[in-house]
Amino acid sequence: MFLKVRLPIMLTFFAGLIPIVAFFFVDGTPVVKKLSNSLEQDMVIVSGFALLLGVVNVVQGNVRKIEPREKGWFYAIVLLAGMAFMGLFGAAGAMRLFGLPGIGMMPDGRPTPFQWGSLYMFTPLQATMFALLAFYIASAAFRAFRIRNLEATILLVAAVFVMLGRIPIGEPLFGPITEWMMQVPNGAAQRGIIIGAALGAASLSLRVILGIERSYLGLDKNE
Amino acid sequence: MEYFDSSRLNALLLFLFFCIVVLAFIQRARSGGNLFIRRIAGLNAIEEAVGRATELGKKVLYVPGIMSIDENQTIASLAVLSHVAGLTARYGAELDVPNKDPLTFASARETVREAYLHAGRPDLYNETMVHYVTYDQFAYTAAVSGTMVREKPAANFLIGSFYAESLLLAETGQASGAIQIAGTAEVAQLPFFVCACDYTLIGEELYAAGAYLSREPAMLGSIKGQDWTKAAVAALIVLGAIFESLHVFHGLKSWIGIN
Amino acid sequence: MSNLAKLTSIDRRWIFLLIGLGTLIPVLLPIGFPVRVTAPVKQIFDKIETFGPNDVIVLSYDYGPTTGAENDPMTDAILRHCFSHDIKVIALALYPLGGLTSLTASIDRIAAEYPNLQYGVDYVNLGYKDGGQATMKLLAEDFSGAFPNDTHGTPLSELPLMQRVKGARNAQLAISVATGIFGEWWANLINAQYGLPVAVGCTAVSAPKYYAYLEAGQMIGLIGGLKGASEYEQLVKDNYPATREAYANPMLQTASKGMDVQTIDHLIIIAFIVIGNIAYFADRRAKRA
Repeated sequence: MFLKVRLPIMLTFFAGLIPIVAFFFVDGTPVVKKLSNSLEQDMVIVSGFALLLGVVNVVQGNVRKIEPREKGWFYAIVLLAGMAFMGLFGAAGAMRLFGLPGIGMMPDGRPTPFQWGSLYMFTPLQATMFALLAFYIASAAFRAFRIRNLEATILLVAAVFVMLGRIPIGEPLFGPITEWMMQVPNGAAQRGIIIGAALGAASLSLRVILGIERSYLGLDKNE
Repeated sequence: MEYFDSSRLNALLLFLFFCIVVLAFIQRARSGGNLFIRRIAGLNAIEEAVGRATELGKKVLYVPGIMSIDENQTIASLAVLSHVAGLTARYGAELDVPNKDPLTFASARETVREAYLHAGRPDLYNETMVHYVTYDQFAYTAAVSGTMVREKPAANFLIGSFYAESLLLAETGQASGAIQIAGTAEVAQLPFFVCACDYTLIGEELYAAGAYLSREPAMLGSIKGQDWTKAAVAALIVLGAIFESLHVFHGLKSWIGIN
Repeated sequence: MSNLAKLTSIDRRWIFLLIGLGTLIPVLLPIGFPVRVTAPVKQIFDKIETFGPNDVIVLSYDYGPTTGAENDPMTDAILRHCFSHDIKVIALALYPLGGLTSLTASIDRIAAEYPNLQYGVDYVNLGYKDGGQATMKLLAEDFSGAFPNDTHGTPLSELPLMQRVKGARNAQLAISVATGIFGEWWANLINAQYGLPVAVGCTAVSAPKYYAYLEAGQMIGLIGGLKGASEYEQLVKDNYPATREAYANPMLQTASKGMDVQTIDHLIIIAFIVIGNIAYFADRRAKRA
């Protein structure tokens, strides 16, 4: 009970409280500032190590698919091979093993194996996924912007104005209107949502620090 | 040596005010005070979505955003996940929770396991329900979109912190015919969710979700306290605008820290 | 249902095809639309113009190759501006792959256009560090807390530029070229807590939210999407004619060229919205009848 419930809640309380307290003290204040900085460094280290947890799960999950020849098992092999290639060459480059000067370019201008995989495999694949947005925005706009009622009409008119205002053909006429719309009505709405969300986040933080909200630990109120 | 940073006195006062109001409402809620929280359609629709998936014999896909556990939206999302997992356990529906962040993955797994345990169906829980995919945003998007296209889940929950992948996921889910419930405090992504999903939790609704679903007095009290603080902030904004327009109380402006 | 009304349920692949063509054709056959500079972009340019050779800018590559088409022209133009104006640059990345692919590739390429630049004196590449906000807070106080070495493994204490600037808070300006939430973090953490002027270059989809920060004075300027990048390119080309040669390279995919694609695609989307509404009304009329 102590290890599973009380200890995590106590740790959360102190880890949450220290940066808040440190915020109100000047640089060079003993203990509190140092503790706060140390917590931030720890967070960087923990988040790095946590990746190992993910890697183990990916290996487990995909090996589980390969053994019984589950549907799509071949893709699991491709995934594991890709992960091993990038992982091993990335680690070897970072540790300067096998004559690799790092994970960037070789002195003669050729890419290291990690850089090669990154530049010619990973980057184009990533860019392709992001580029799909152009297509999806078009289809979502086609479906969503209909003159159903007054609100939908306002939304449609604003969208068309902004789209025209952000291209050279429409900019002379719609550019200033777009800037005004972005700065005034959009800015006002964004601020409203941001302030509301910030207070919501602060309220949630308080619940977490005080141990009232504990579902992220897998606990319910009675534990 | 002066250790307290006096330039942050304004922030300290707001912080203390906020804490006092929230704690007062939590206390009031615990002592049996009646607190009204408005209806949130997206949260009410969760049971309907899980029920639909159960009837169709298809899975429920829960995407807890792409950020780590140090992001409040992720914590809020895990509170909703706990509720959804409780429902899938009760109804016997299949649940799939793919993760992008390893720390979120660890917490999500624990959350789902406990939800199944509390629902009295630990036999239905299995380790593959909550799984890790990749740390890369778009590789993750590709994997989740692939699941939507291939396995056609009946209900998609896109709740947490989302960025450029929001529309990619929501449009793919929309095309696959799933009922979709989304929620985020990322304002830039809200329009995409509103366009492509059946229900969207906007900003603070997401943070309130855990309290709303659990109906626990202490949690509801904190929502009420937050609302009162918001009202106070709104009143201060209006007063500030009036003072500034009338050119009075200029010292107040510099004290708040606006140059 | 009339033929017109059937358009409401048009196969989305027709939309995808036209968007694909609208993207491909202007890339192959550039049009060259004129560029008009807006105030949020000009404010960043003007701020940098006020700096002298002893001033330092922190340039954070908070994006990866995915949004490179929008963000790369921003960092390229900012670097050309800084190097042309003899401003010192400390470059770093807080986004995975931002360090390796975007930062290193970009800074090496642009620095090569300025043979007189000295690494370690005029600019430094700190590389990538994980940890998001925690790393950002560390580097605001002390760069070496987050980056003990630069990307080449050299300790920061051995780099003359880094001996002058302890933390980001000691620089004159921080510019985050960002995807996702990173730009907001710079405004919320670095500007709000340390008072350092912050500017953001973001993808077009994120631009609306940044206007709230811009109007609140938490940012000194905003480069929004490809449009903003093309404006910054134009300012650099107009004020530093020597940079025009680099931008004249036909193989270089500049923001100005990207605006051709954006123009055509926006027009296609508007056309589809109009068609969609005509079909919607035809459908409604048919149902009433």
